[in-house]
Amino acid sequence: MSNSSAVSSTSIWTGGRSPFNVSYGKLMMWIFLLSDAFTFSSLLVGYGAIRFSYAGSTTPWPDPATVFNHFPFAHGLHLPLLFVSLMTLILIISSVTMVLAVEAGHRNSKSEVSKYMFLTILGGAAFLGCQAWEWTQFIHEGGRLDSNLFGFTDAAHEHAKHLKLFDPVHWTEADKISGPVPFASLFFIVTGFHGFHVLSGVVINIIIWINVMRGTYERRGHYEMVEKVGLYWHFVDLVWVFVFTFYYLI
Amino acid sequence: MSNNHTHTEGTYIPETYIPHAESHGTGSLWRTFWILLGITIVDFIIYFAFGASMARNIVFIAFGIIKAILIVGIFMHLNYEAKFLRWMIVLPAVIFLSYLVCFLLIEGNYVSLEKYF
Repeated sequence: MSNSSAVSSTSIWTGGRSPFNVSYGKLMMWIFLLSDAFTFSSLLVGYGAIRFSYAGSTTPWPDPATVFNHFPFAHGLHLPLLFVSLMTLILIISSVTMVLAVEAGHRNSKSEVSKYMFLTILGGAAFLGCQAWEWTQFIHEGGRLDSNLFGFTDAAHEHAKHLKLFDPVHWTEADKISGPVPFASLFFIVTGFHGFHVLSGVVINIIIWINVMRGTYERRGHYEMVEKVGLYWHFVDLVWVFVFTFYYLI
Repeated sequence: MSNNHTHTEGTYIPETYIPHAESHGTGSLWRTFWILLGITIVDFIIYFAFGASMARNIVFIAFGIIKAILIVGIFMHLNYEAKFLRWMIVLPAVIFLSYLVCFLLIEGNYVSLEKYF
């Protein structure tokens, strides 16, 4: 018994079949995503190291709740985390429509694949729109790559501690001092790098969607390309989980 | 060696090989979606129910890791892939990331950039 299982476990490496039982393209997509995971984790670990270095400093790291506390059409209210939670929700929904497109592809159902691909593209575009809005707010209030107005004075810090959800809040220039520059620059770099992944994911999704509608994959007999772009899209969602955790929650 | 794969010999071309994919149904996908949504809502509640503390951060990171496992395992289909592929993807990530995170936790607070800015 143990002998025969040893034979079958080594025989997959003797050639004549795929040891990983995946196509070449999908294996390469996995390896690319692994390398991309290292890139993002290096960025996040770098973020952590720089944030640590400001512990106990005279210009402490700003509390994200006092910076990212806006919501469209609710001007001047203290609403931390609400908008990014909405963005997370959009990305999770677009992730599930993507995986439904992959599942429909396994059943060779062209109409369902194109429907779910379209919904995924809509979700991606909505996410990008939200991110553009958030960047606009941040830049408008003084976040720059090379400077940062989100250091708060002691009085403003004290005020921020007692803020409740939906409280009206308006920071004046007198409340702000120049804060840690990396707070702003890392925000742009990491969310920008993630946002660029979302953008390229949307572009690739559109290309694949057009191919689905033109019947390319129907003629080919399988929807492997949808699976590959799906892997990329879920990876973007995966990265957002950690960006959300480290930038906004902690 | 064994003849359990002789039927593919001669026909197997690595560049064009596509394994037959089959649907596992949408049940597990929707269940994963509701779990991800639920965890995000719990994150949201914890954020407002408790003040910032190390315990809260650990809970957030643990939830993040659970979400990551669900996305990679179910949505990216890694749970259903061949054993060697699973380990080839998961092991380098886990080893390299735990290395980076350990050094961040051990050495992170020695670094003071104060004097450079």
